[in-house]
Amino acid sequence: MRRIWLVATVLLLAGCGVEPSGVTDGGDAPTGVAPGVTLYFVDGQGVLTPQPRGSDHLGTITEAVSLLLTGPGTSGLHTEIAPTDMTRVVVTTTPDLIQLVVPLTVRDVTPLGIDQLVCTALGVHVQSGGSRRMVVRVRFTLATPESDRLRTCPLISPGR
Amino acid sequence: MRRLGLRARLVVAFVLVTVLGAAAAAWSSAGSASAALVTATQARLCESIAGQVGAVAPQLTYPPDQEALDRLRAAVGPDTLVTYRGLRSGTDNGLATGALRAAVRNGDRLVTQRVTAGDRPWLLVGTPVMITAPDGTRTASGIEVYAVRDLTAVEAQIDDLTRSAATTAALALPLALLLALLAAGSVLRPVRTLRDTARRLAAGDLDARSPPRGADELAELTATVNEMAESVQASMAAMRRMQADARRFAADVSHELRTPLSTLTAVVEVLAATTDGMAPDARESAQLAITETHRLVRLVEDLMEVSRFDAGTAHLRVEEVDVAGAVRDCLRARGWLDRVELVAADGVESRVVLRADRRRLDVMVANLVGNALRHGAPPVRVHVRADPAWVWLEVTDGGPGLPEHVLPHVFDRFYKADAARTRTPGSGLGLAIALENARLHGGDVTAGNTGAGGGARFVLRLPREGV
Repeated sequence: MRRIWLVATVLLLAGCGVEPSGVTDGGDAPTGVAPGVTLYFVDGQGVLTPQPRGSDHLGTITEAVSLLLTGPGTSGLHTEIAPTDMTRVVVTTTPDLIQLVVPLTVRDVTPLGIDQLVCTALGVHVQSGGSRRMVVRVRFTLATPESDRLRTCPLISPGR
Repeated sequence: MRRLGLRARLVVAFVLVTVLGAAAAAWSSAGSASAALVTATQARLCESIAGQVGAVAPQLTYPPDQEALDRLRAAVGPDTLVTYRGLRSGTDNGLATGALRAAVRNGDRLVTQRVTAGDRPWLLVGTPVMITAPDGTRTASGIEVYAVRDLTAVEAQIDDLTRSAATTAALALPLALLLALLAAGSVLRPVRTLRDTARRLAAGDLDARSPPRGADELAELTATVNEMAESVQASMAAMRRMQADARRFAADVSHELRTPLSTLTAVVEVLAATTDGMAPDARESAQLAITETHRLVRLVEDLMEVSRFDAGTAHLRVEEVDVAGAVRDCLRARGWLDRVELVAADGVESRVVLRADRRRLDVMVANLVGNALRHGAPPVRVHVRADPAWVWLEVTDGGPGLPEHVLPHVFDRFYKADAARTRTPGSGLGLAIALENARLHGGDVTAGNTGAGGGARFVLRLPREGV
């Protein structure tokens, strides 16, 4: 008889309330802070090279791509994107695609220039906590098949 | 529990099991639901905090200044503490435990802990903010975010769940009680029937049976009880038949002996008339033959009397009898007047009148007094007492009295108190016949002793109005 009551009491207590717990894992820590943004230019040998800019914060993809369009400055690197006064870039991010609408025609950029755009956008995306498996589509102002290609950056491996 | 009846115990056990089962089921489902609720709420809070930090982090200057920390804190919401090395934004409400802080400082994961403070449940969330390089490597930035979220709403939901579980268990109670009563009834009904049957059997109704129903243990028990009753009935019948046979045999024998005995008696009387002219030793033999023949006649008469009682053919011829006179007549007829003292107790009217069979009263008195004279010692006394309803005739003697072991058997037929003294002048049926006669009158005879050192005392009690 006493055992039955014991079981009943244990059952009663077990169902009640929010129990205190120990320290438990709650997922990946947030990320996104950075001392600056990383832009991609081309060095003298024609190799894509990252260039960190000490801009105090990471910022958005739009800001990074706009900064990229303004050129490498005096650093021994050069850009393969034709200079333009218009640096306004529209970025649309969906769960599996980043779309850049750049104020350029396909003739304004070399393939390396397209990689500069893709790597800069993807770099910001990864640094702010995004997946490295993300793909990028660069849309140009004039209609071209290049606008529909899905691209990845050769320097940022899809990794895990 | 043991003090309760079978029905109550069955019902209590059944209800207990059912309600406990229902409670256990309700509680376990409530428990898992609450666990799921807590987990989901926790995951949602963590995700939202991580999302809020992640959304604002790219815009924060790094290394952060006080203003950046304030912005981050504002983004995460109230009850938040943001630290970076020496800098801090927000108030430390002291809820964050040391373990949590250590896990945040040394790890790269968001961690949570549930605590109870001020009777309310809280969720502590702590996370470092990481720096991710373009190649995906993560390093700690030194910024730590601690947030406290109230779980009272979740607890209220859990309480609701618990309450509904309790209600479910409580709802099972009346249903269980009803079922238990039905089940107990169906189990106990055969038991009660069996008990009634057993009672009737014990009361002597050997025809009592209970029909076994079904094929369970109770049906087996019922069948066994029926078999037992059957065999008891059979042996009782056999015993009765044997008794009847024995009585008939005794009756037949005594009846058959009567004719030759009457012839023998006539012959013996002739012999008695001629003993005077015999030689002394021949006369002694003749006398012995006469005595034994008379004894034989008396024995056969007693046997026939007993047979009549057994056969139920003994009849009373009731008339008004003066008790003292009847006793005196009895004593006089047997020549015992000088050996027996007739005493009437004080306050008894001189003439006690009784409605009884005169012959049978004579037999009773003669048998009781004869027994006292034969086995007891003088003085033999007969006391007569009476009240409006009963008359008592008390026969006492001055002998050693009746031994304890003899008392229960003195009225048995042919019982010999002294095994060594097998030959006594009596038939061995006298007291039995006296008792049967008393019963026929609606009275009885009891045997006992007069008290300290006294002799035997037989008390014959008869109703004054007869039967």
